[in-house]
Amino acid sequence: MRLKAILYFVLPILMLATACDLEKDIEVILPEHTPQLVVEGYLQQGKAFRVTVTESSSYFDAPQPPFVPDAEVYITHNGRRIKLNYKPTVSPGGTKYYTHTSTEIMKGKVGDIFGLEVTDGKGRKVTGFTTILPLVPIEEVEWKFNEKEKAYLLTSFQDNPDAANYYRYVTHVDSLNTRPERDFTLDDNLTNGKRTTLGSAYDYDRNDTIIVSLYHIEKQYCDFLNSVDNAKDANGNPFAQPSKIKSSVQGGIGIFTNLVFQRKTVVLH
Amino acid sequence: MRYPAYTLYFVFFLLFALPVSAQNYTLSGVVRAAATGEALVGATVAVPGLRAGTTTNERGFYTLLLPQGNYTVQATYIGYNPYSGNVSISGNQSLNIPLELASNELQVIEIEASTLRQKLNDTRMSVEKLTTKEAKLLPALFGEVDLIKTLQLKPGVQSGGEGSSGLYVRGGGPDQNLVLLDDALIYNPSHLFGFFSVFNSDAVKSVELYKGGFPAQFGGRLSSVVDVEMTEGNNERIQATGGLGLISSRLTLDGPIVKDKATFLISGRRTYVDVFTRQLNRLSEGKPDYNPIPDYYFYDLNGKVNYKIGEKDELTLSSYWGRDFFTFKDDDFKFGFDWGNSMASLNWRHKYNDRLYSNTSAGITKYKYTINNEIDIFSFKLTSDIADYTLKTDFDLFLTGGHSLKFGASATRHNFTIGRLNFDSDDNSLSFGAGNDYKATEFGAYIADDYQVNAQLSLNYGLRFSGFSNSKTYFAVEPRVAAKYNLSENTSLKGSFASMMQYVHLVANSGASLPTDIWYPSSEYVKPQRSHQVAAGISQLFGNGKFLFTNEVYYKWMARQIDFRDGANLFVNDDLEAEFLFGKGKSYGNEVYLEKIKGRTTGWVGYTLSWTYRKFNSENPEDAINEGNWFPTRYDRRHDISVVLLHQLSKRINLTGAFTYGTGNAYSLPVARFAFQDVQGQRSSVVPVYSERNGFRLAPNHRLDLGLVLKLNPKRGSSDLTFSVYNAYNRRNPYFVYFDQVEDEETRQTLKFQARQVSLFPTIPSVTYNFKF
Repeated sequence: MRLKAILYFVLPILMLATACDLEKDIEVILPEHTPQLVVEGYLQQGKAFRVTVTESSSYFDAPQPPFVPDAEVYITHNGRRIKLNYKPTVSPGGTKYYTHTSTEIMKGKVGDIFGLEVTDGKGRKVTGFTTILPLVPIEEVEWKFNEKEKAYLLTSFQDNPDAANYYRYVTHVDSLNTRPERDFTLDDNLTNGKRTTLGSAYDYDRNDTIIVSLYHIEKQYCDFLNSVDNAKDANGNPFAQPSKIKSSVQGGIGIFTNLVFQRKTVVLH
Repeated sequence: MRYPAYTLYFVFFLLFALPVSAQNYTLSGVVRAAATGEALVGATVAVPGLRAGTTTNERGFYTLLLPQGNYTVQATYIGYNPYSGNVSISGNQSLNIPLELASNELQVIEIEASTLRQKLNDTRMSVEKLTTKEAKLLPALFGEVDLIKTLQLKPGVQSGGEGSSGLYVRGGGPDQNLVLLDDALIYNPSHLFGFFSVFNSDAVKSVELYKGGFPAQFGGRLSSVVDVEMTEGNNERIQATGGLGLISSRLTLDGPIVKDKATFLISGRRTYVDVFTRQLNRLSEGKPDYNPIPDYYFYDLNGKVNYKIGEKDELTLSSYWGRDFFTFKDDDFKFGFDWGNSMASLNWRHKYNDRLYSNTSAGITKYKYTINNEIDIFSFKLTSDIADYTLKTDFDLFLTGGHSLKFGASATRHNFTIGRLNFDSDDNSLSFGAGNDYKATEFGAYIADDYQVNAQLSLNYGLRFSGFSNSKTYFAVEPRVAAKYNLSENTSLKGSFASMMQYVHLVANSGASLPTDIWYPSSEYVKPQRSHQVAAGISQLFGNGKFLFTNEVYYKWMARQIDFRDGANLFVNDDLEAEFLFGKGKSYGNEVYLEKIKGRTTGWVGYTLSWTYRKFNSENPEDAINEGNWFPTRYDRRHDISVVLLHQLSKRINLTGAFTYGTGNAYSLPVARFAFQDVQGQRSSVVPVYSERNGFRLAPNHRLDLGLVLKLNPKRGSSDLTFSVYNAYNRRNPYFVYFDQVEDEETRQTLKFQARQVSLFPTIPSVTYNFKF
């Protein structure tokens, strides 16, 4: 639970602001922005290496993110340097695009370190590293209906007491091709070594199909996701402080990490 | 810690104090209300022929140093007819002065004119005083009279945002104000995110705000002292005062318990928006897609009992209890959030003889918030609180030769509960908790001398020794000096230096006053905050004493300021200290003030030119704010103007107006953005990139508030209707600005990005009915 929950109280006041037409368009002159490389790379066991490289834009520039065709992308692992080719591709579901891909399949074991190197014609260089984490299995997904035929969902897993762990918990209803229904990160500061249960409100109907994903993530990925949420929250929340993006890569903006997760699909009978 | 330089200053001033003119004599006595015998605190006693003057202390006592001769002595006090009498000084002499109560409001305003001379002659500088009487005449948002908001109209004081009751004094934060109610500390003096202060106008008599030149008896906060005095019960008869407003109602009862011995006052205020929202919810029950409106209300209760044990002793019991409640529930879900302050203080005043008085008090003050969240069998409860137990004693000793000493000591035991979290389920399938408890002791001892060197020069110098003990013990010496020199009968020069320490810190990283803001003690890692302030000024009385012009410049240094890392979790965190950043601050400016109290048209004009900056570096450069460079605070306001006018149209009608203008708040806006697809791509979004902290300015804030007080003629007692128009010309003042993503309604394609400004309050008229009988 975060401070933004407080916004809930101010909602009536903000509603009043809207009702009385207290919002208006204004002009803001922004200082000149030097575009930075933006990189997103998620390695996944048994999947091809795929990375997206774009550029940041001044806020009021054209909405489409600019691609960087002359960017060269390499993945390094165990002394090998694998080149990814510039070949903009859209994922099979049509929800995601990649700019640089390789046909090589990622194979790594727990503790392995993979590196990323991106350079371009303007002399910009982005680097990053990721370490393969062990899988944390979902021990149990259970649900309970109330008399109104609405169910809550509980997902349990066991935290490892010997390490500081970070998790990302995501649920989708019916299909992975929809927006996540719940999506949050957590650490084990308060639950170190404990069996941890994540709950929901009475959000589900009978026969809903829920896809539960539990990612065991790196700290750098957790920090990046939180900083992205905080930065988005600061734009439009008068109580929030501006937040810097905590990138896991050096020399630009973005995330380079690996995805270790377990996914369970349940039908709420 | 070593402060050899300050010790030298102190010794210097002690030496300065020693030479005493041999042919001067002391004139001393007590100023009292003629009808009730009540000692009048802060009354002015002056000898115009010598341009000498002083103010009475907490016992109404005054002392003046005069050469042999015949003089006219004048005494004045707000709401009372002035006194003028002749004395012949040939030795030390006593003169008790009775003042008659003024009969009507106009006379009150006339009499207040004499306070201008009092201000001119006061050694203290950077002090603003307001009475409820003044504040009640001025227009107010939703008709809720608020002394704290009225203080924002004074130079050097800024509000936290539109409608906010937060005080930002000379570049300090609202957590750096020492807010005292009858000498007891109030931790979070606001309701509803700072839109209203906790001070019910019927229960409060006056407020004094010290912006600098702090007297040595005050300590524990860096930037200001807000000294609120509660009204005392009427000694003559039982009376009821109250009002019906747009959002709240008030009722106060006070009077004698035993005539001339004991009085009481009990006062309450409650908002009633929830009464209407509950009705709306009831009417809409069962409607499809109807979301019930959450319940919100707050209330305040004030109580005070005075008991004169004898000629030499008096006991006062003051108390305050206030709570805000926010609840939301439907069949499956229950959310409750309540927060508030409570305070009780027992005060014993004792007179040893005509020269030595003491004031001893024991009190408890507490701030607490609780969040309860229940879903079916699961419950979540989060509590934070701070409870203080304080014992303190102050002495006033009047010496010959123009010295009056003030000395005393205080000790406070703090109990902190920080982020106490319990998460449970009825079937015990889930259970975990978190939170920290700390206990700490804060103490202070001081001595100060108010020394009237001669008719022109007066000094107030002192030293405060303070300390704090938690996991580590800190000590500090806080020197305080103020001086006044009369250049002529109507012109005085003033200067001051004050050093302040703050041992408890507010954990809050938002601009608003949130109930979840909690206090945190100094510890091994968190060092106490410190400030030094110098101020100098000139005061000029002109137009036959009708106008007072003051101009003050100040510079304030602040060390070990606290901010938080980006994305800090301040809500539930067992290692809160890891989120802290430490830095420094500076603020400087010029405050110009012109005041007129005499005549049918009164008021003031204030102008402040100021700069306020902070700087936060960190061992980890990633955590530094603004890359470790100086940045303006959100409330860094280059220009701030306020014009307040009160005009008595007739005996029954008062017209008032208040115009304010302020440079727009410094604000952080994203300069760039990038597209973030995330793992699956469905969560694809635009992420803002921020650069400089507070690098932009919102549009200037300005507005005009108008008020009209119409006195009614009821058969019994008195009553009035107070009309207020907030933001009369409907200025859309910026509350915040954000960048919107404009999409095509059909294709959901992003077309462009647009900056949008949100304002809070349009023109808001209100009417309040006030009565007294």
